[in-house]
Amino acid sequence: MMKKNEILACLRANKQISDFEVRIVDKDSRELFYVLQHLQINRAVKVNTTTIKVYVSNKKTTGSSTVTLTAADDAKTLNQKLKKAVSQAKAALNAYYPLADKGQNYKAKKPSAKDLNAIASNAAKAVFKADVYRQGWINSTEIFVTEARNEFISSNGIDHIDYDFKIGIECIPTWSNKKEEFELYKYYQSNKIDYKGITKEIDEILKAAKERSRALTLKEVKLPEKLPVLVKNDMIQEIMWVLGNDLSYRNVYQKQDHYALNDVVSENPFDLILKGTISGCAASRRFDDHGVVLKNRTIIRKGIAKAHHGDIQFGHYLQEEKISGSLPVAELKAEGSSYKKEPHLIIESFSAPQLEEDSGYFGGEVRLAMYYDGKKYIPLTGFSISGNIYESLKKVRFSKEQTVLSNYKGPEYFIFSDMIIS
Amino acid sequence: MLNQFLKSRIPDARKLVRELQKDFDYVSILGTVVSNKIITVSTHVNSIDDVDAECGFVIKVYKNGHYSEYSCNDIEGLKANEIRKAVRLDKTVSDDYRVKMLQESEHVDDYLREDSSSLSDKEIMTILEETKDGLHARDERVINVVSRYTKRQTSKIFVSAKKCLTQKYDWINVVLMTAVRDGGNIKSNYEAEGEADSLTALNKFREHAPGVLDIALRMLKAKPVKPGKYTIITDPSISGLIAHEAFGHGVEMDMFVKNRAKAVDYIGEYVASPLVNMYDGAAECVSAASYFFDDDGVEAHRTHIIKDGILQTGISDSLSAMELGTEPTGNGRRESYQRKVYTRMTNTYFAAGKDRYEDMIKSVKHGYLLCQTNNGMEDPKNWQIQCTASYGLEIRNGEFTGEMIAPVVISGYVIDLLKSISMVSDQLTVHGSGMCGKGHKEWVYVADGGPYLKAEAKLG
Repeated sequence: MMKKNEILACLRANKQISDFEVRIVDKDSRELFYVLQHLQINRAVKVNTTTIKVYVSNKKTTGSSTVTLTAADDAKTLNQKLKKAVSQAKAALNAYYPLADKGQNYKAKKPSAKDLNAIASNAAKAVFKADVYRQGWINSTEIFVTEARNEFISSNGIDHIDYDFKIGIECIPTWSNKKEEFELYKYYQSNKIDYKGITKEIDEILKAAKERSRALTLKEVKLPEKLPVLVKNDMIQEIMWVLGNDLSYRNVYQKQDHYALNDVVSENPFDLILKGTISGCAASRRFDDHGVVLKNRTIIRKGIAKAHHGDIQFGHYLQEEKISGSLPVAELKAEGSSYKKEPHLIIESFSAPQLEEDSGYFGGEVRLAMYYDGKKYIPLTGFSISGNIYESLKKVRFSKEQTVLSNYKGPEYFIFSDMIIS
Repeated sequence: MLNQFLKSRIPDARKLVRELQKDFDYVSILGTVVSNKIITVSTHVNSIDDVDAECGFVIKVYKNGHYSEYSCNDIEGLKANEIRKAVRLDKTVSDDYRVKMLQESEHVDDYLREDSSSLSDKEIMTILEETKDGLHARDERVINVVSRYTKRQTSKIFVSAKKCLTQKYDWINVVLMTAVRDGGNIKSNYEAEGEADSLTALNKFREHAPGVLDIALRMLKAKPVKPGKYTIITDPSISGLIAHEAFGHGVEMDMFVKNRAKAVDYIGEYVASPLVNMYDGAAECVSAASYFFDDDGVEAHRTHIIKDGILQTGISDSLSAMELGTEPTGNGRRESYQRKVYTRMTNTYFAAGKDRYEDMIKSVKHGYLLCQTNNGMEDPKNWQIQCTASYGLEIRNGEFTGEMIAPVVISGYVIDLLKSISMVSDQLTVHGSGMCGKGHKEWVYVADGGPYLKAEAKLG
């Protein structure tokens, strides 16, 4: 691949390019694929991805076009690509917006060398440590350990460098009730090494598969008409994505936002703080795609929409003074509510949680839920829940228990009182 | 024409295969370049980008009962020792390997399918722009129109001791999304046109655009469905979604190897109404999921999955077929050269039947015509299904009432749903520009479809 200096020389030599952004990602990963506890394939990935965005701007308009660099490129072919990109940028002009100012370059310290093979192997061991049941087992496991060096360079003098680390584990637990086998799905993701945490999470999903194997249907268990529904994991991640999107500069500019500033999102006075990084959140980033170094922003304070966030283009169009950049992770702070004594329904696993940003519809088909009837938990399966997120958030409560997901830190459960169970 | 960079690397690939064969019992190299020309015209932002979504190689080797793979940007000058080092297993990994070695037959071929239109960026932008402006002019409630043309050019080479294959194929997607707003009520609708040539795709896009807006505007008044069991008629996209989620994922034979598919116990059994026939195959038609050979270097096939309601067989990648002692069906696909091969669907659809669409609608006492794929989820082990339609149109006493519900989630037990199919229309459409994940990752382009189906289903 071409060296950074060669790329920059080509960009600077093209006088029609008014600005540019270059993103260079060097990724190194080790992957293990198991059927039961038998290794089927191991993989190594060592690749560079270089993306170049060129701008052709004047005081009124900005045109941009993106090209990618491949191993086939040299100065000659890159110059040809840049020439074409300039012509494409001129053909697709938008209202003017500036690039991010230089400010202070973010230079992460290079982390000490990690043995990705050993980490992958230890992660597999941590998974299999939970595989101890006679009627339950882990049917397949995929381990992804990835390290990446991310560099962002712009014509405004920005040169950020950061390093990413992620462990991803797909695990399929199965449980047999002697008549039939039942499985669930788990995708664990983290940006830190926590082997004990992996074992704990795999053990929990195995136990959940056991519950699915003895789960009853709504024909067998009559639920009260009004029942608090607790959602967790994937559905909370969906809700965070929708709230972040709704209060983004882009949605405001496109008039696709549901909340104006100072609108009441919820009667529950929770705070939602968007951030660049949270320990344990795999979606964390130090800077966004335009090189804006990310800082915390409270978009909902005491249940009221208080600020927007997002990228520099739409922030500039809205004449925002302090553009936050696109913030990828969220921390929710709220007073925990007690739910354990009253009857309730915990949705442990959806087939696929659904949340439609425009209409607010949310719900889905439930693979496993735990119904507490006031005395004991009863596993349930094969039914659906549905609601409208914008309505349901008005009266939402939160659990005292806390969790960390790939884009979220905060209460483990959102408690909704108005969902339809069918 | 095959990407020149890939073409230039065929001698390197052959040399590397020979070198690695000294240490490994099986070696293959897949090279991939996917170039996307993306032209976006929207109410707020326009752009033209040329992005190589993929450009790289994956080297697959086998020794001592397991496979190793190394993904990299280039193979020119790549030393066998670098690959050995990269795929070295940690000494603590259990050495309980049991996988067999792939056996291949001699096969050398070159394949080509290219866009026959030669439209300039300007011509394409003009069509997108006029369509966008036309929709805005029709109704002031339109707040955003996004029109996106994507020309995807895929070049692949597959080189092993016995094979040297090349393919180049193009696919054009034109997607229209329109968002409308009435006070705080926001709704959006989309349609994607996929064709092998640009002009046909853009003409269809232009023709269908007013209908996309009409539906978005009707959605402003749509109500949620009252949960319950209903008679449904599925449009071809929802029929395809059901095929895909019910018995598409359910017969991916890497799931058989992992004992993750209930279907393995039902081969030769009735799993659907006798009216039902279902197929999959990259050779089946020209679509977003059609190719000449898969990422294992196996030629595209056509597989008859359900015949007259009886489950016949599954689809497979090479490794799964070898483990199960069956023939591979050309369904080994990677999300990119950076990811592993899995068994994946291509064009999955129910075959047409004998009923007229009009008769099917007339036969419904109370139910819904369910339209437009939104998304779905598989459950191959326990056969629960979830399919979401963007909207449904109410039918009472054989006539549309004008009422719309949106969105609509179909759920239930796969076999109950497929056995309830009582009418199958004589029209068939395979359509697709969407992507499909396996679990919650590994995204590949797929197409699906079928005729209109009449069935009984739980809606929520």
